[in-house]
Amino acid sequence: MVDFGRVQKELQECSRDMEASGIKIAPVSDNLVHLSGTIPGPIGTPYEGGTFHLDIKLPDGYPFEPPKMHFVTKVWHPNISSQSGAICLDILKDQWSPALTLKTALLSVQALLSAPEPDDPQDAVVAQQYLRDYQTFQGTARYWTESFAKTSSLGVEEKVQKLMEMGFPESLVRSALEAVGGDENMALEKLCSS
Amino acid sequence: MDDFMSGDEDYYDSDHSESDLDSPDIIENDEADVQWAPPKGSSTKVITKESLLAAQKEDLRRVMDLLSLREHHARTLLIHHRWDVEKLLAVLVEKGKASLFSDAGVTVNEDTGSSLSFSSEVMCDICMEEVSADTATKMDCGHCFCNECWTGHFIVKINEGQSRRIRCMAHKCNAICDEAIVRNLVSKKHPDLAEKFDRFLLESYIEDNKMVKWCPSTPHCGNAIRVEEDEFCEVECACGLQFCFSCLSEAHSPCSCWMWELWAKKCRDESETVNWITVHTKPCPKCHKPVEKNGGCNLVSCICGQAFCWLCGGATGRDHTWSRITGHSCGRYKEDKANKTERAKRDLYRYMHYHNRYKAHTDSFKLESKLKETILEKVSISEERESRLRDFSWVTNGLCRLFRSRRVLSYSYPFAFYMFGDELFRDEMDLQEREIKQHLFEDQQQQLEANVEKLSKNLEEPFDQYPDDKVMEIRMQVINLSVITDNLCKKMYECIENDLLGCLQLGTHNIAPYKSKGIERASELSTCWTTKPNTADNCLPLDCGTSGGSSEHDRPSGSGSSDDSGCFSRKRPRKEGFGGGFFDLNLPAEVIDRN
Ligand SMILES: [Zn+2]
Ligand SMILES: [Zn+2]
Ligand SMILES: [Zn+2]
Ligand SMILES: [Zn+2]
Ligand SMILES: [Zn+2]
Ligand SMILES: [Zn+2]
Ligand SMILES: [Zn+2]
Repeated sequence: MVDFGRVQKELQECSRDMEASGIKIAPVSDNLVHLSGTIPGPIGTPYEGGTFHLDIKLPDGYPFEPPKMHFVTKVWHPNISSQSGAICLDILKDQWSPALTLKTALLSVQALLSAPEPDDPQDAVVAQQYLRDYQTFQGTARYWTESFAKTSSLGVEEKVQKLMEMGFPESLVRSALEAVGGDENMALEKLCSS
Repeated sequence: MDDFMSGDEDYYDSDHSESDLDSPDIIENDEADVQWAPPKGSSTKVITKESLLAAQKEDLRRVMDLLSLREHHARTLLIHHRWDVEKLLAVLVEKGKASLFSDAGVTVNEDTGSSLSFSSEVMCDICMEEVSADTATKMDCGHCFCNECWTGHFIVKINEGQSRRIRCMAHKCNAICDEAIVRNLVSKKHPDLAEKFDRFLLESYIEDNKMVKWCPSTPHCGNAIRVEEDEFCEVECACGLQFCFSCLSEAHSPCSCWMWELWAKKCRDESETVNWITVHTKPCPKCHKPVEKNGGCNLVSCICGQAFCWLCGGATGRDHTWSRITGHSCGRYKEDKANKTERAKRDLYRYMHYHNRYKAHTDSFKLESKLKETILEKVSISEERESRLRDFSWVTNGLCRLFRSRRVLSYSYPFAFYMFGDELFRDEMDLQEREIKQHLFEDQQQQLEANVEKLSKNLEEPFDQYPDDKVMEIRMQVINLSVITDNLCKKMYECIENDLLGCLQLGTHNIAPYKSKGIERASELSTCWTTKPNTADNCLPLDCGTSGGSSEHDRPSGSGSSDDSGCFSRKRPRKEGFGGGFFDLNLPAEVIDRN
C-alpha cells in the first residue's frame, strides 16, 4: 500500500520551493498513485528553455519501491528512449533508496539531461550519434526541444481544458495528449480519428 | 595396494599375467582383496536439511572467533566472500580490516542504540513523521528510521529475493542490515516472511558457496554436497546419485567437463547428420531457401533465379568459367570442393567410430549391473556349500572393479574423440605429435579393453557349480585381473593428466582424479543438536562450537564406516525445524518461491 501520508508531504514540500527548483509535481488522479512531473531543461544544454513533462506512477510498495517514471515530452537523449520516453537511471532501478523522494528523483533526471551517459544507453541510435557526431546530436536535441518542449505556451492542464471544451471526455483527452507527447494539434487529430 | 605390482610392466601384458597366477604371493596377498567399504574420513560431505545449519555455523564460528565479530557481521562477510573463509582471511591480510568490512557492508558500531535515549522523539526521513524513540531503530551504520518504515523496506526486499544483502534505507549507505533486527521486525507483522528470510540466509550457505552444491537428483533428494579442496571431483550423494561436482552432470571422467558437454550435445542433436546436410545445401543469398548443389562447378543458381558462389555464399552474376566468376573475387572459388565433402564424410565416420565404442561399453555397463544380482546369488549358493572356501569377497570386489573400469573405458572414447580431433586442439599439436600421442593412448585403451572383457567373462562363470580347485582358479584370475585393470586405469588417467591435457597451452581442461575405490561416497556431516539457532548471535556450546571440535565430529569415528557414523548422528536427539520454523529444504528456495 502506497504511503499516502508521505506523498502528501512530498507534494507540499515540493510546491513550497518550486520557485527555486523549478520542479513541479501535480496529481493526475484523485488517489495520488498517478502524478505528473515537470522539469525545466537545464541551462547551457540543448534542452535549455524547454519544459519537460513526465508521467509518474507509484507502485504499491512506494516509497520502498522506486516510482515508475517516463518522459511524456519527446526528448533526444542517449539515456532516454526517443520512442517511449523510458529513462535509464540507476536510482529509478536498483539504486533506489526509500530516503529519496519524487523531487530528488526528478532532480536526478534533470541532472541526467545535463550529463548523459552514452556508455549505458537506453536509446542506441541516439547514443551512437552522441559518440560519433556530437555536433549533429546537439542540433537534433535542440530541434526536438524546440518542437516538443516548447510547442505552446499553454501548460498541460490548459490544453486539457481546451480540448475538453471541444467536447471530448477528460480521460480520452489526457491519454491522447500523453500519446503524442503533449502536442495539442496532434492530440486533436488523434481524438477526431478515434 | 597401491604398490602392488608397480614397477612390473609385465603384468600389463595379459598373456604373462595368466602364467603368473600360480605365484603364491599373489594369491595370499590379502591386500589384493580390496576392501569395498567406503573410504574412511572422505573429504566430501553430504549436507542434509538437518545438518545445513550446523555446517553453516561451523564457518560462522571460525570467522566470529578470528575477528571477534557478532554472527550477523560474520555472515555478511562470508556471503560477500561466497563462504570462502580462506579467501576472506587473505583479503584481511592484504587489504586490512577496515577495507574488508566496508567492501562487504559491515559497520561495527560500539554504542548502538545509546544515542536514541537522549530525545524521546525522532524524525523518520522515510515517512516524514515524528515518532517516539522507542518505535524507531538505529542500524549499525548509524541511520535511524521508524520501525514501520524498516519493516516495509524489509518486506519488499525479502519478496524481491534479496534477503542475503538487505541494505540500509539511507541513500548511498552500503551497510547491510542486522539480521536479528530484520527477523524481529518482520516476524511481528509477517511470521511466514520471517521464516522465508531465515531460509534464504540458511540456503545462502549452499547457493553462494563455491564448494557446496545441491545434489542434481530429480526429484530432488534435499541434500547438498560439500567438497574440501578440489572442485574437480566426482561424488556420490547419500541418495546414491553419482555426479561430477564441477558441472553437475553424470560422472564423466576421464572426459573433461567441456568435452563432456560437447559430446552430450553432439549425441543429443546428432549434429553430424545436420552437418551432412549443410555440406550439401546452402541458403540462397536472395530468398534464403536451401539450394542443393549437384555436381558441376561452384556457381549454383537458385530456383528464384539468383546465382551465387557455392564457396562463400555471395550473390554473383552468371558469367563464369571453372576457375572464376566474372566480377567475383572471394578467393575461395578455386578451392577443391570435393575435399570438403570428403571431410564431412570423414568427420561423420570418425564420430561414429568413437560413438559406437562409447555406446558399446555403456551398454555393457548396464547389462553387467543387471548381472550383479545373479552373480551375488552365485555367491550365496557357494557360501552354503560344504567347502573349504569361505571367503567370496573377491567376487564383489571384482564386480566393483569391473563396473569402475567399464565406466573409465566408455568415457575414454569421447575423451579421445576430442583430444585427437580438430574441434578443440587443432592448434595445440602438429599432426605428427598428435599421431604419436594418439597411438600411445590407444595402446593403453586397448590393453584396458582386453582385460576388462576378460574380467567380465570370469565373473560370468558358473563358479557356484564348479569344484573347489576350479573356483580357486577363477578367484585367482579375478583378483589378478582386478589389479591389472585398476593399474591400467590409473596409468590412463596419469597419461591424460600429464602427457595429454597437461601439455595444453590454451584453455584448461581438468578431470576428476582417478580413485581406485570408485567414486567417493560423501559422508554425512555429523552435527550437534544442542544449539538454539533462532536466537541471533547465540553462541554454540563450547564443546561443539569451536572449529577444532566440529572438525573432529566430521570424521567418522574409529573403525566404523561412514555408514555407521551416519547412523550415529541420526541417533542423536534432533530438534525439528529451525527454531520453530518448518523449512521444506527438499527444494531450493527459488523453486519453492516460484510456487
Ligand atoms: Zn518512518
Ligand atoms: Zn545506513
Ligand atoms: Zn542426492
Ligand atoms: Zn563435469
Ligand atoms: Zn533464391
Ligand atoms: Zn558452370
Ligand atoms: Zn565466392
